[in-house]
Amino acid sequence: MQTLKTTKLIVALALSALCLGSFNANAQQENFFRAIGSPHKPKVEIAWNRYHSAEGLWDWMKKIAAAHPNLAKIESIGKSYEGRDIMTLTITDFSTGKDTDKPAMWIDGNIHSNEIQGGEFSLYVAWYLTEMHADTKFIQELLRDKTFYITPTINPDARNNFFKEPNTANSPRSGMIVLDNDGDGQAGEDMMNDLDGDGNITMMIRKSPTGRFIKDPLDPRKLMAVGPDQVGDYEMLGQEGMDNDGDGEVNEDGIGYYDPNRDWGWNWQPDYIQRGAMRYPFTLPENRAVMEFVMKHPNIAGAQSFHNSGGMILRGPGAEEDLNTYNREDIRIYDAIGKKGEEMIPGYRYLTVYKDLYSVFGGELDWFYGNRGIFTYTNELMVSYLYFNKEAGRGNQDEQLKVDHLLTFGDAFVPFKEYNHPQFGTVEIGGFKKNFGRAHPGFLLEQDAHRNSAFTIYHAYHTPKLSVMDVKEEDLGGGLKAITATIFNERMMPTHASQDLKYKIERPDYVTIAGAKVVAGFVVEDEDMKKFTEQKSSPEKMAVENIPGMGAVKVKWIVSSASNYSITVDSAKGGKASWKK
Amino acid sequence: MRKFLLTGLLLGILICGDVFAQSDYPTLSQVTQRLQKLGSNASVELKSLTKTDGGKDIYVLKVGTGVKDEKPAIAVVGGVEGFHVLSVELALQFAEKLVSENASVLEKSTFYIFPNMSPDAYEQYHAALKYERRGNAVAMDHDRDGKSGESGYFDLNGDGMITWMRVEDQMGDWMVSKDDERVLVKADRSKGEAGKYRVFKESKDDDKDGEFAEDLQEGIAFNRSLTYKFPVFEPLAGDIAVSQKESRALLDYLFEQWNIFAFVTFSPANNLSTPLKYNAGDAKKRVVTSILEKDQAINSMVSGIYNETVSQKAFQQTNQGTDGDFFQWAYFHFARLSFSTPGYWTPEFKGQTNAEANYLAWADSLGWDSFVPWTEVKHPDFPNQKVEVGGIKPFVMVNPPFEKVAEIADEHTSFILKLAEMQPKLEFHNLKTESLGNGLTRVTVDLFNNSPLPTHSEMGARSRWLRKVRIDMDASADKLVSGDKIKLVDSMDAFEKTTLSWIVRGSGNVTIKAGAAHTGFATQTVKL
Repeated sequence: MQTLKTTKLIVALALSALCLGSFNANAQQENFFRAIGSPHKPKVEIAWNRYHSAEGLWDWMKKIAAAHPNLAKIESIGKSYEGRDIMTLTITDFSTGKDTDKPAMWIDGNIHSNEIQGGEFSLYVAWYLTEMHADTKFIQELLRDKTFYITPTINPDARNNFFKEPNTANSPRSGMIVLDNDGDGQAGEDMMNDLDGDGNITMMIRKSPTGRFIKDPLDPRKLMAVGPDQVGDYEMLGQEGMDNDGDGEVNEDGIGYYDPNRDWGWNWQPDYIQRGAMRYPFTLPENRAVMEFVMKHPNIAGAQSFHNSGGMILRGPGAEEDLNTYNREDIRIYDAIGKKGEEMIPGYRYLTVYKDLYSVFGGELDWFYGNRGIFTYTNELMVSYLYFNKEAGRGNQDEQLKVDHLLTFGDAFVPFKEYNHPQFGTVEIGGFKKNFGRAHPGFLLEQDAHRNSAFTIYHAYHTPKLSVMDVKEEDLGGGLKAITATIFNERMMPTHASQDLKYKIERPDYVTIAGAKVVAGFVVEDEDMKKFTEQKSSPEKMAVENIPGMGAVKVKWIVSSASNYSITVDSAKGGKASWKK
Repeated sequence: MRKFLLTGLLLGILICGDVFAQSDYPTLSQVTQRLQKLGSNASVELKSLTKTDGGKDIYVLKVGTGVKDEKPAIAVVGGVEGFHVLSVELALQFAEKLVSENASVLEKSTFYIFPNMSPDAYEQYHAALKYERRGNAVAMDHDRDGKSGESGYFDLNGDGMITWMRVEDQMGDWMVSKDDERVLVKADRSKGEAGKYRVFKESKDDDKDGEFAEDLQEGIAFNRSLTYKFPVFEPLAGDIAVSQKESRALLDYLFEQWNIFAFVTFSPANNLSTPLKYNAGDAKKRVVTSILEKDQAINSMVSGIYNETVSQKAFQQTNQGTDGDFFQWAYFHFARLSFSTPGYWTPEFKGQTNAEANYLAWADSLGWDSFVPWTEVKHPDFPNQKVEVGGIKPFVMVNPPFEKVAEIADEHTSFILKLAEMQPKLEFHNLKTESLGNGLTRVTVDLFNNSPLPTHSEMGARSRWLRKVRIDMDASADKLVSGDKIKLVDSMDAFEKTTLSWIVRGSGNVTIKAGAAHTGFATQTVKL
C-alpha cells in the first residue's frame, strides 16, 4: 500500500514536471523531508513568522477554501463599522454531512484590535486541519464528526489601523468608531501624533535640571529612577503626542475608548458600571455579526477566543456577580480541558477571569456560555516565559531589553532621538515598537500557534459524540413488544450544559423511532429498578433533556408492531446518529 | 381626491371645531393622521425611526425652534405597554397642546415625543379579538420548548374578548370573594379556606402539555426587554436585551440626542405620585439598583409638583418599576432624570380593598358595562368538569373611558410644562474686568445654574452619555496669560455658582461660552 502510493506519487510528479516545466520547484521538494506533526508539501504555503492585515488573512482563507473545496468554505457573516467583511471559514468533511448537522467549534481572534496574533493563530487551525487531513486519521475522523467555524479577525477595521497607522502596543483596543472620550462635546479632536514619523507611538522624555531619572550609563535605552536623595537629569513627559485642541491635555481623545469585549449580551452593564460598554448589547456591528451567526448555528458546542497577552487559558465567569452561573458539573469539564491545555502550552496557566484577572461584565466568553450554553475559553496569547523559559513576570523591562539585545538584535526598539516639540521644546522620543511585547516575535509564532491550535482541537474533540446502541427487544405478549435503546455520548461535553438546562436555552434532544406503531414511550430512569417517566404526547419522538458527557440515556417504547424500524437521535449541540434494524 | 379631503377637513374644523373629536381611543391610522397633521407645523419634525416586524412605524416628533439641539429637552414616551392605550393618547394630546397652546415654551426648551413604542400590540385594542397584549409581532418561543407561539389564547365563548376561565375543581386554590361574588380570590390556606376553582386565561391546551396560554402568539414586549434588570429567557423578554427593531431604533436615536435632561413616560410604573425610595446598600453596589441619594431628593421635589398639578390620587399603586422596563432604563442606564405615571387610577371606592371588587363597585355606580358574567362553556380539555368564562373585560382597569381622557391630558400637560420650567439654566453674573497694566486684563465672572435642578443628576455625573459643562474662552492661546482656554466641569448643583478667572493680553472683545447640550448655553462678551 505504502509502496503503491509512493509509486503513484512519483509518476504524478514526473508528469507534472514534464508538462509544467516547474522542474526546479519539484526537484527542490524532493530535498524536503517530513517533520512530524506538520503538513508536508501543503497546498497552501504560509510563512508563520509574520503578521497579516485583514485583507492578508482573507487572502489565505480564500486560498485554503480554493485548495480544499471538500473541507473548507468561506463566507462573509456580516460587515464591520467601516464596511469590511467579517470572513468566516467553515471547516468540516462535507462529504460526511452538512456542517450544521455536526457539533461545532467556534474560533475567533483579534476582538481587541491590537491583539493581533489571534488572527494568525485562528488561521493556523484552519490551515492545519485542511493540510493534515489527507495524512492523519485523527483529523479525518475529527472532520467527519465535527465542524469548525473560524473567524480570524472579528475586528478587521482596527486590525488594519494597528498595522498601518502609528500606534502603541496597546492601541487601538476598540474598533474604529470615534467617540467623545473626554466629554467635551467633540469626538476624536486630540488623537495621538507620530512626531518622528516611524509608525510607532513611543515615549517622550526631556532633559531637566529637576528630573527624577537618568539614562542608564550602561544602556542608553533605559531610563532609571534616581534614589530619593539623588538629583536626576531627565523627566518623563508621557506618550508621544501633542495637545491638538488647546485644552492642556495630550492625546486625550483618540479612536474609541470603548471595548468590544464589554458589548456582549450576558449580564450586560452600562459604561458607568462597566467601562468600555457601548449603548446596549451588540451595539457593535462586528459582534452583532458573530451573535447572529451563533444564534443561527445552534450546533456550536465549544468556542475559543484568542486575545493577548500573558499566557492564560481563561474561563468565566467574567464577573463575580455571575458566580452562580457556572455550576459544579460544568466546571469539572472546564477544568479537565483547561488543565490539559496547561500541559500542551508551556508557560500558560488555566485561570478564571473574575478572580485571577479582573471582574468584568459583557465579555464574549460569558455570553457564549451564559446565553448559549457553549463551553468557551479565552486564551491570552504570548507570555514572556517563551523568551528564555523563565518566569520574569509580565512587562519586565529588563528582560525585554535583554531579548532585544540577544535575540532580536535591536529590531524591537526605537532609540531615543531629539525632536523639537511645539509645546515641550526639545524632547527625545523613543521606546519599544508597537509590535513588541504583546505580539510574538516571528521566531516564536509558529510553535505557539501550533500548541494553541492543538488545544482548540482537543476542546473540539470533546464536544458530544452520540450513537444509538444496545437496542433490545422484549416480547410482552398480546402482540406488544418493548424496545429499549441506549443513546451514548462518548465525549466529555454533555449535549446541554447545566446552564442550558437551568434556562432551557436549547431544545431537548429528540430520540425518534420510525417504522413502529408506538403505544407508549418512556425515558428510562433506572432500568434495573424499572423506573420510567412516560411522555404522553407524541411518544414516538421522545424528548430527552440532556445526554451527559461520557454517559448515556435510555428510552423505551411499547409498540404494537415493529419490523424494519429505525431509531434516530437528533441533538442541536450533539449532532445526529441513527440505528437501523 | 386630495382636494376633497382638504375640503372635508376644513368643513370638519368649521363644524365641530375639532376634526378629531372621537369617542374611543384612536386606531393606529388615526394616530398616524394626527401625527402627520402635527408634522405640518413649522416647529415639528415628524420622523419614522423604523418599522416593526408587524410593519408599523415607530414615530418621533421633535418639537422646537431655533437651535433645537442646544436647548435642554424632555422626552415624552407613550405606548411602552401595548395594552395601555391611554398612554398613547396622553403623549399625542401633549404634543397637540404643546404646539397649539404652549408654543412659547419652545423658545427655551425642546421636546421629543415618542407616542407609541408598541404599535403591534396596541393594535389588539381595535382587533376583532381584543386582549391585553404586550408583545410585538415577532415569532417567539415563550415557554422555550423549541416551538413558537403554539399555545396562546382562545376565545371560548366567542365574545371577541379574552377574559378568564374558571374550572370547578376541589383541588383548585381560587374561591369566590366575599366582597363581590363576581370576583375570584385565592383561598387563604392559613385560615383553613378551601378552594373551589382553578383559574386560567381563556385558552385551550393546544400543545397538550398540561399548561394553558403559556406560549402566546405575540412576541417581545418593549417594556420588558431593555437592559436594566433584563429578565433574560423569560416570556416576552427573549434571550438578549434590546433585540428588537423598535427598541434598537429608539435607543440609537436617543443616544444621538445629547440635549435630553428628563423623561416623562406614561406607563404602568409610577414614581410621580410617590417617589422611588433610596436604599444605601443597593445604591453602593457595583451594579446600582437603588436611585442615588441626591436623585431621590429631586424625585421627591418633582413628585410634590406632580401631586399639586394632577388631581387624581393613586390607589393601590405598587409598581415602581419592573424588570427590563423603559422608565428605569432611562434613569439607571441612560442616566437621565426619569419619571413615569400610569396617568389614571381607579379611585378608592367605598372602602373596598380588593382591586377588582373596588373597580366593579365603582364601575357599577357609574353604570359602566365592564364585566362578562361567568357563563358555562364546553371545554375540550376538561370534558368532565364545569368550565365558565367571564371576568372583567380587558383594558378597562388601566384605561379610563375615553371621555375622561381630556382632563387627564390637560393636567399632565401642565405637569410636563412645569418640569420644563425647572430645566438647568446657566447664566453669567458679576462680570469684573481689572486692568493689571501693560495691556493685561484680569477677567472674573460667576457661572450660575439658576435652576432647582442640578446640571447633572448624581447618576448623570457618572455617565459618559451626558456631556460635561464646557467653558470656552475664545482669546487666542498667545493672548491667554493664565486661565483655561477650555475647562470642563463635571456637574453644577441646583443654584450653584462657580467663579472663573483669566488674565488676557491685549484689547478688544473676547467671548466666554459655557454649557452642554442638555443644560443649554450661556455666553458673555467681555470688553478688555
